[in-house]
Amino acid sequence: MKRIFATGVLVSAFVFLLAPIVVVVISSFNAVGVLSFPPRSFTTRWYSQIDPTYYRALIVSLEVAAITVLVAVLTGVPGALALARGRFPGRDVLNAICLSPLMVPALVMGVAAFQFSLVIWDHFRLTLGGTIAGLVVGHLTFAIPFVVRAVLAGHTRFDHSVEEAAQNLGAGPWRTFIHVTLPILRPGIVSGAIFAFLISLDEVPIALFMGGGDATTLPVKIFTAMEISFGGDILAVASVIVIVSVVLMLALDRVIGIERLFATRH
Amino acid sequence: MWSVSTNAKWALLSVPMVLTLAAVFAVPIGCLIFLSFFGMTGPAQVGDEFSLENYRNFITDPFYYRIILNTFWLGGVVVLCCLIVGYPVSYFLARTKSRWRGLLLFLVVAPLLVSAVVRNIGWFPILSNTGLVNGLLLKSGLVNEPVPLISNLTGVIIGLVHALLPFMILTLTTVIQRIEPELEEAAANLGAGPLRTFVHVMLPLSLPGMIGGSLLVFTMAIAAYTTPVIMGGNRFLVMSTFIGQQFRTVLDYPLGATSAAVLMVLAGLLSVLALKFGAPRTEMAR
Repeated sequence: MKRIFATGVLVSAFVFLLAPIVVVVISSFNAVGVLSFPPRSFTTRWYSQIDPTYYRALIVSLEVAAITVLVAVLTGVPGALALARGRFPGRDVLNAICLSPLMVPALVMGVAAFQFSLVIWDHFRLTLGGTIAGLVVGHLTFAIPFVVRAVLAGHTRFDHSVEEAAQNLGAGPWRTFIHVTLPILRPGIVSGAIFAFLISLDEVPIALFMGGGDATTLPVKIFTAMEISFGGDILAVASVIVIVSVVLMLALDRVIGIERLFATRH
Repeated sequence: MWSVSTNAKWALLSVPMVLTLAAVFAVPIGCLIFLSFFGMTGPAQVGDEFSLENYRNFITDPFYYRIILNTFWLGGVVVLCCLIVGYPVSYFLARTKSRWRGLLLFLVVAPLLVSAVVRNIGWFPILSNTGLVNGLLLKSGLVNEPVPLISNLTGVIIGLVHALLPFMILTLTTVIQRIEPELEEAAANLGAGPLRTFVHVMLPLSLPGMIGGSLLVFTMAIAAYTTPVIMGGNRFLVMSTFIGQQFRTVLDYPLGATSAAVLMVLAGLLSVLALKFGAPRTEMAR
């Protein structure tokens, strides 16, 4: 009896966690009344009705995520190495400052970035709002800390003797870095980059306030469409995203284990 | 040890990162805080007289006061739901030797990798007036009319609990794993029933983790924007939806900036506190 009760509690918790994700896919094939469930008739019509602007938004999302991660890795990896190895004054403060953007709500960051774009326009006549560059600026605020954190976490297990061995064998600092240091740090860099990429693809508040027009990302496009009306085409787009996410997730779990992505402690 | 010159080189290596973070993070936040000290002269127009008026209004005006109370109330309810649903699941995940453990842990984390917007969309066919839950309720005869479950406060709570439950489960599972099962066995051997064992052994030992997880979930709940907007249909005003409104429709930028600054300070203090209680450092909920 107790066992049945315990199993019941567990099963309901997991049903709760997974229900909306499964329902998105099922309902996207619902022919009439997409808000009713379970569906009574089957159609694939919604998929053919997906507006082309969604594809454009997807391209924007991918561009923003790729550029953001590239800049975050190029600045964050050397920065993380400096934090891990340097013994300069103010290092601990710098460490705290570099991770502090993660404590700022994305919404606050979004409206701050928007305000920043107005100031930049007033003083330099530079357009940041509604451009890919503006979105990258906004997304770097979490991408850099993610990369730094992941590299620092990987660095704690670093065995410095292998670098010394390389140098004893005659490798210069650059060769040591490329052939020894970088391969050891790679898992940390990769998991930080993947995490930053995924968050950038999915992020709404910053992209909402900084983007717009030609620089509308896919989640923002769906978000604003939902504010107007809820329809089958939205379900079809969402269902495609779910299927792609699940495939990616399984691949990620194979490669690094998704549990680790979220439980990174530093 | 390293010489002075190599240390200077290390510091130099961090310069691009520091400059980038200053430009994309520190300056915009500075702009926002600066803006909060001015008044509005018209839609999207900012006056040029420095004042603390916005902040004073925020503390004294019952309208804003109410919004802050709503925000805390929502955070509290979400935390409570996450604790009640999360604790049994975490307990199971921490203690089980089942071969399904890996898969179940995967299923806890998996929803986090599906877009927040998409997850919210999935609640509509479940919670709408003609949806799954209301269909079952009507058929069972428990209610005569559909119960509004979405586009209101109930919807916001369901959406946030769903979004934040994985964080609670991850935190609690780690904590419960560290409590030795022998302690429970000892309590049982000494004649304590399951309830007494829970109250006198498990609860005190897992309390720090529960506080850490709760602070984490609370912070993310009050910071979330996307879920409250989609699931609440803009009907229930909390700080985040209020800020969004100021910048998107009301166009009172200074007032929006003030509320954003208040939310930022609140979330910052709570995050630091959560870290002290051993909660993992994660990204803010969206």
